[in-house]
Amino acid sequence: MSEWFRVFKQGLSIENPLTVLMIGLCATLAVSTQFQNALFMGFAVIFVLTMSNVLVSVFRRLIPSEVRIPIFIVVIASFVTIVDLVMKAFVPSVYSVLGIWIPLIVVNCVILGRAEAFAYQNTVGLSAADGLGMGIGYSAVIVLLALIRELFGTGRIVWFDGVLFSLPAGYAPPSLLLLFPGAFLVFAFMIVGARWINERFEARKEAPACRP
Amino acid sequence: MKNALRLVIPVLVTCIVAAAGLALTYKVTEPKIAEQDRLAEERSLQAVLPDATFTCLESSRIQGDIDAAADPVDVLDTFHAAIDGEHAGWAVKVSSRGYGGPMVVVIGLDTSGSVTGVTILSHNETPGLGTKVITDTWFLEQFPTLEAGFTDADVRGLDAISGTTKSSNGVRNGVAAVGRVYTEVLSGLGEGGFE
Repeated sequence: MSEWFRVFKQGLSIENPLTVLMIGLCATLAVSTQFQNALFMGFAVIFVLTMSNVLVSVFRRLIPSEVRIPIFIVVIASFVTIVDLVMKAFVPSVYSVLGIWIPLIVVNCVILGRAEAFAYQNTVGLSAADGLGMGIGYSAVIVLLALIRELFGTGRIVWFDGVLFSLPAGYAPPSLLLLFPGAFLVFAFMIVGARWINERFEARKEAPACRP
Repeated sequence: MKNALRLVIPVLVTCIVAAAGLALTYKVTEPKIAEQDRLAEERSLQAVLPDATFTCLESSRIQGDIDAAADPVDVLDTFHAAIDGEHAGWAVKVSSRGYGGPMVVVIGLDTSGSVTGVTILSHNETPGLGTKVITDTWFLEQFPTLEAGFTDADVRGLDAISGTTKSSNGVRNGVAAVGRVYTEVLSGLGEGGFE
């Protein structure tokens, strides 16, 4: 069980797919203009990543390594299409904005990367932990990025047809934050933040050993 | 040969299982999706011409003329609008090219051919940027200023949103095409065309 948590925590911290591994950035930077979209993108990624990790791990002994990539892609594409159809049927207002990015989860390197690097070599339980951890780590970063960009780029946070929170009326939002340069800027600061936090944790872990 | 089978069979099995799973999901979600699409269409028709009942125009002869007038924009559907049985105008659903692909735009016209409203039914524009054509409400609200007999030049005279020129043009081109469709086809049909 401790191994399970170690793997799960890695996705959130020292192996975070976005701030540390830096994979799957294209869709992330593009979708993170609205908190609402980022949240649903996060859910979609958690679902697809966990399901594909589990499935790949279950059948890992039956998948010949020569054809593993096509099989991974078929598995991932199927789950993504399921998410696509379900979102279209049940949350059309989100789908209308997120629509183009959902199919792109297929080529999101996070998912193929984890199937290849983790699930293909590890047990089902650990693969599920990895999928959940990586998925939640991905979601946490994209949601935070979107919160910062939306709040300071538009002056308010929108949730469907309502406004969740807005800054004082005198605030003139710089639309730079909504454009790609803004995404890179904010994301760069988040990487710095993630590094700093991870280093603090590492230092604390090593500290007792240093004392005589 | 044996080696080839060893590789082919897992891929084949994966594909069959995946196809079955997708077919099942599609079967379950399809009626829901069709319903959502119908609701969305109904909402945008009501937004451009409130309180009207719409009947889709189905005439291949007219469709040819409409397509020719609207080119390069595609006309998906033309609706005849009636309020209490009286001819009240038209609603035209067009597919115009935006920045990220086709944008489906619904344009309402009254009996004289003035624009009553414009809504965007679906699009692939960049979230937060191209989507300003929807969220910056002044943009769509300027179209109802177009009077009867408006021309392409009148539509071009309306403001675009800076930074989202292509998305703005997608909508403007759609409206301009509907202007041409009205002048060349719909205005000639008159009320007598719908009995």
